[in-house]
Amino acid sequence: MLTSSIRSVKFAFQSFGRNFWLSIITVSMLVLTLVTINLLLVLQIVASKAVSFAEERIEVSVYFFPAATEDKIKDASGYLRGLPQVRDVQVITADEALSRFKERHAADATILSALDEVGGSPFGPTLVIKAKSASDFPLILDALDNPQFRNDIREKDFSSYEDIVNRIKATTERVQLFGMGLAAVFLLIAILIVFNTVRIALFVHREEIAIMKLVGATNAFIRSPFLIECFLYSLFAVAIVAGIVFPAVAVIDPSMTTFFGGESVGLLSYFQANWYVVFGIQLAALTVINMVSTTLAMRKYLKV
Amino acid sequence: MIHFKNVIKTYPPNIVGIRNVNLHIRPGEFVSIVGQSGTGKSTLAKLMFAEETATSGQIAIGGWDITRISQHDVPLLRRQIGVVFQDFKLLPRKTVFENVAFALEVAGTPSRRIKEIVPQVLKIVNLHDKGDRYPKQLSGGEQQRVVVARSLVHRPKILVADEPTGNLDAIHTHEIIDLLKKINEFGTTVVLVTHNREVVNALKKRVILVDGGEIVSDVEEGRYKI
Ligand SMILES: Nc1ncnc2c1ncn2[C@@H]1O[C@H](COP(=O)(O)OP(=O)(O)O)[C@@H](O)[C@H]1O
Ligand SMILES: [Mg+2]
Repeated sequence: MLTSSIRSVKFAFQSFGRNFWLSIITVSMLVLTLVTINLLLVLQIVASKAVSFAEERIEVSVYFFPAATEDKIKDASGYLRGLPQVRDVQVITADEALSRFKERHAADATILSALDEVGGSPFGPTLVIKAKSASDFPLILDALDNPQFRNDIREKDFSSYEDIVNRIKATTERVQLFGMGLAAVFLLIAILIVFNTVRIALFVHREEIAIMKLVGATNAFIRSPFLIECFLYSLFAVAIVAGIVFPAVAVIDPSMTTFFGGESVGLLSYFQANWYVVFGIQLAALTVINMVSTTLAMRKYLKV
Repeated sequence: MIHFKNVIKTYPPNIVGIRNVNLHIRPGEFVSIVGQSGTGKSTLAKLMFAEETATSGQIAIGGWDITRISQHDVPLLRRQIGVVFQDFKLLPRKTVFENVAFALEVAGTPSRRIKEIVPQVLKIVNLHDKGDRYPKQLSGGEQQRVVVARSLVHRPKILVADEPTGNLDAIHTHEIIDLLKKINEFGTTVVLVTHNREVVNALKKRVILVDGGEIVSDVEEGRYKI
């Protein structure tokens, strides 16, 4: 049993070597398929980071009329803080609002003089609200729309981050759909190439196979080198892809961190923590697919 | 040893291989099957080692009914029957030793045993000093002797040789036939398919004449009459 297994592995390696270029092409196609799938994975991780990064920054500013009393503001902020959907409420008093405005436009004399002409402060107090999730904002804003506060509120202003979140989500979805289509096409090509490679390997070895049959080799023994060979294709492909993905991720990771203002996307650490799951699943899936393809080829071209 | 009872073999769609063959070959016999081309000699031989299965009738080898042999059992049968075929060649990239060893390797024989058996069978065919040659470096007769050696690795009780001298000149033909006689003397039942008149006449053994898929004559110490 052990002897036979060792010989099967030996025959598999010999077959791989005898069809060297075909083996290279087969493995390359599998690599291309897997690279696409890993790109999708990276995209998924980066996109979800980007979404949460943007979501954290979505805030709504609620501007009150200058006449609104401090108690009113305290009531409103207290009320909002009590809502489970609210992450944080920041109170900006009328004076602070004015000085912020002046700071921001310190270089612009026209605006400052216009402000003087108005006389007194046109600013009222402001509440800056952050939600736990972007989708909670409509609910929060509705909550403010009650008679207790409605008449004191001048304006509610969404920062444009929600747009960004939606755009990231839509783009990711589209890219993912395209990527999955691409991966499916590559996979189909890979299956056909594996099928054809096995077909040719069977043809190349037709004399050995005929002899094997006549001298009493079992069907399992005749088949196993080809199954092992296709496992080797899967193994090499996954190893090569891991060899591409890890350095690539290591290179991208720091620039991603810079892009997100120093917050790590965790791309590298994700692959470091999950590499055996990520590549194990890929190896398993690829092996199963290749085995099916090989078995179909053998059933068609090998009468054993 | 070999029993055929009312055996019919038709190839799809409707080609007659053999029709209604009854045959009994006893252990230790040396039987020649002769006849013109296309009369069903090879079909008869292939039925013996289950390369083909009978359309109807019954075939038994050493008391084992192989008429409806399962795919799983075919290798077991093949390890008891040595087969020499005209077009059953050597592997050109392997040496003589490796070619013979291959038959044992694929059957799962341990390497230690292979190293014992191969020199033994190469000695029987008188090629023990040419084990590391490649088939190209041998004469046609020597190559065919390697094929015979390979068929002997499992110490078969039956040796089926289908036109083993088809491509050989008179001298090499003689060598091979002598070899088959020697193997037969060791106790192996030999079935020789041939259309070589001189061979059959010199053998003075049992001759079965096949024509149109049927056995038309079967005589002890026969001569090839056609
Ligand atoms: N695999 C096959 N498929 C269809 N017909 C076959 C096959 N093998 C042999 N035959 C036919 O069966 C008949 C007997 O063939 P064969 O046994 O090879 O004859 P022989 O060995 O005496 O020359 C011939 O007519 C041949 O064409
Ligand atoms: Mg023939």
